[in-house]
Amino acid sequence: MKNKYKKWFPYFLLTPALLYYVLFWIRPVLRAFFESMTDYDGSFSLMFFSKVINESMFTAALRNSLLFALISVMLQFTVAFMMALLLNKKFKGSNLLLFVALIPMAVPPAAVAILWKTGFSTFGWINNLLITLNLIKEPILWMTAKGYNALLFLILIDTWTVLPSVMIILLAGLQNLNKEYEEAGLIFGASRFQIIKDIIMPILKPTIITAVILRMIAAMQVWMISVMMFGYGRVPFLVERIAYYTDMVPMLKESYKMSLTYSVVVTTIVMISVMIYLRVNKKKEKEVRI
Amino acid sequence: MISKNLIVRTTFYLFIATMLIAILIPVFFFVSTSVYSEYEVYDFPRKFLPRTSFDLEIEWENDQYNLSVFDEANNEYELLIQSNDMDRFRLYLKRSLSIQLNNEEIENDFSLSKKGEPIYLTYKKDLFYNYKTFFSITNNAGKSVVNSVMAAGWTIIISLFFGSLAGYSIARYKFAGKSQLSLTLLVVRMFPGVAIAIPMLVYLIKMNLDNTMIGLAIVYSVGNIALTAWITSSIFTGINIELEEASYIFGASKLQTFRKITLPLAFPGFIACSMYAFLAAWNDSITALILSNNNPTLSLVIYKAIGSSSAIQLSAAGAVILILPALVFTFIIKNYINQLWGEVKL
Repeated sequence: MKNKYKKWFPYFLLTPALLYYVLFWIRPVLRAFFESMTDYDGSFSLMFFSKVINESMFTAALRNSLLFALISVMLQFTVAFMMALLLNKKFKGSNLLLFVALIPMAVPPAAVAILWKTGFSTFGWINNLLITLNLIKEPILWMTAKGYNALLFLILIDTWTVLPSVMIILLAGLQNLNKEYEEAGLIFGASRFQIIKDIIMPILKPTIITAVILRMIAAMQVWMISVMMFGYGRVPFLVERIAYYTDMVPMLKESYKMSLTYSVVVTTIVMISVMIYLRVNKKKEKEVRI
Repeated sequence: MISKNLIVRTTFYLFIATMLIAILIPVFFFVSTSVYSEYEVYDFPRKFLPRTSFDLEIEWENDQYNLSVFDEANNEYELLIQSNDMDRFRLYLKRSLSIQLNNEEIENDFSLSKKGEPIYLTYKKDLFYNYKTFFSITNNAGKSVVNSVMAAGWTIIISLFFGSLAGYSIARYKFAGKSQLSLTLLVVRMFPGVAIAIPMLVYLIKMNLDNTMIGLAIVYSVGNIALTAWITSSIFTGINIELEEASYIFGASKLQTFRKITLPLAFPGFIACSMYAFLAAWNDSITALILSNNNPTLSLVIYKAIGSSSAIQLSAAGAVILILPALVFTFIIKNYINQLWGEVKL
């Protein structure tokens, strides 16, 4: 009797959360899948998928989302890892430095956009700084950037904002790392770089994978900084299209179905990318073992 | 050997310096912009520190006052307006220079120039002018702060309740399907948050929870319950199970043990989880746009303000208010980094 109770108790504790997810996550997700695969009258049809794919902005949105995710994740991981290595050392003022490093994390997306608008506007502080330092003569019109330049802009702004959250995860991993491995490496004459590459990185791998995947998922769903910096349509992203249909053309059956179809497309792409990333990592692991 | 050490040290300090500059300079100029008067926004090139006062020159000419302001960059007085209407001066000083004076004060000061010689005045700028104006010209700005706090409060309550029960179960028991559970956090995040909100609107209207903060919190908690479960399971794993066993030996029930032993030990972690929940609710604007457009949160008000107003100094003031609480909570989280993410593995 007692055994049976013990067996079910963990499920009993999980039930509230599971129920919550059935009601408030699975239900809306299924609704989205249903809406994306039906006609206006509810009969099965893939017309909204073809509508999405044939939309003029779709290709650009897909390309931008993938490029954004690829470049920003690589850039952010590299810089965040360097920051984490640095902040893991105890030195005078390291606690204060951690304090400063976390500031961008506290800036909500709506505020991030304003923060950078005060900089990139024609009379903003970036132009002011460059002119005062005699680096340029005339103000640069940052906000008129288009295409890849604008995309690069958004990558840099996004990097500024999310570095701390990536860094935090890596730093926690580093702090839990057994110092003895590092010392062993030092004794055997390994260089700093070798220690990082051959000792720290492999042990830290689960943490790195966690950090990278969380970042990948978020990066593929980027949209808000694009809209707030440049408005809808200048640098289209997949989720930006969802927001466009809900924000700009609301209350129409068509835009409702378009945005849900877009979200199904995004979810599929994100899932595939995460699976590819995990697969590539597994393969590498095998090669190392051989 | 010494030179190698020197290179390492130099790189080290260069890296720190770059980091500090990259983070602090944007923040500094952003906060400066929030206290700029309208005149300063377009004063270009300008000095780095925002002005705290303005040097004005008043000249009496052709039965009119000429109002000029000292332009720091060019070192000369720049003519702003000519008029003898005190209302016009009062409004101009207020709107363009953030100087708050009444008609009599202005008339008294200005009339001294009627003797023929130009006079020079220094007026103090109202540094909080943009903050006051943001709240007075934005509809519902005060109410939206209350709303944001309420939405965050409900999100904390919901996420902690559902998340920590699941987290405790994951940490303490072995059961079928446990290893797949940690993947839920990722899967939940793969479906865009905006897209959850769209069908949720229909359900919330049915439950009479549209345009309410509880309704918003229900949606915010979706991402946060999984995160809370993940983090609390790592915290519970870190708490020595022998303490709990000792408690059973002394005859305490499961519930008593949880309340008296486990919960207090896990408390700091709970605080950190609450902060994440708080930030999720406080920072969101798009879910609020879809689900609670008629009863906005502060973040939504600011999101809309950027679209509608061209006055960047006002939006900046609003954004600074939005950042402050988030900043405080981020610094509380800082102390729990290790506990929060130390055991988290996929």
